[in-house]
Amino acid sequence: MDSESVVSAVALREEVKKKYRDVASHPDGEHHFHTGRPLARRLGYDMAQVDPMPDGAVESFAGVANPFALRRLAPGEKVVDAGSGAGFDCFVAAGQVGPEGRVIGVDMLREMLDKSRASASRMGLAQVEFREGILEEMPLPDGWADVVISNGVINLCVDKKRVFSEIWRVIRPGGRLQFADIANGRPVPESARGIIDLWTA
Amino acid sequence: MMSEIGFVDIEISAPFDTFADARGEKNARKFEVFGYSFLARKPG
Repeated sequence: MDSESVVSAVALREEVKKKYRDVASHPDGEHHFHTGRPLARRLGYDMAQVDPMPDGAVESFAGVANPFALRRLAPGEKVVDAGSGAGFDCFVAAGQVGPEGRVIGVDMLREMLDKSRASASRMGLAQVEFREGILEEMPLPDGWADVVISNGVINLCVDKKRVFSEIWRVIRPGGRLQFADIANGRPVPESARGIIDLWTA
Repeated sequence: MMSEIGFVDIEISAPFDTFADARGEKNARKFEVFGYSFLARKPG
């Protein structure tokens, strides 16, 4: 779906908030997608890194693929996670960049930010920080990041060109975007594109 | 869209069957929805 969609950005954002508030509060609830450690295993994450994480750091993970599948982060890199949720990918990133690196997660949901900050504190990850914001206007200076990661969030934004442009702004020249997202092999009929439930379900 | 913005060296992974055995599998199958990993570089 693209920026010309009939779905309003504001309406979609509110629906996404509602859906992912539920994932933050009830990670074991009845969601249409997998969550937590079983999902991380399914998506090929290094379980030697995932297994020691506390439940709160993993249980609300709801990614759609693995942003580390094509490239492992390098020690010392500065990383932004666009749409960090409960912080799972930030914690994986922190393990890869090490204590000399930095990881900043950006998310719009207070419930997810609270949960991710609590997990980072519990895990003693001083190199990880979480900021409130939306992907279209990330609270970061130009060229700050060596790498921007994201997992299953860009597809939930109506204006994808604006999101990619914002990611471009945040990445330094020579830096990388490594993200995971869904794509459909069959076109979604125009009549169904305005059904907001299909964007989050 | 990524190349239009200026990203280069774009790579795409093999598909992940993200929704297999999940409650959303029916809709995912209907529209052939899979997860993918992407890698791209900003020239500089």
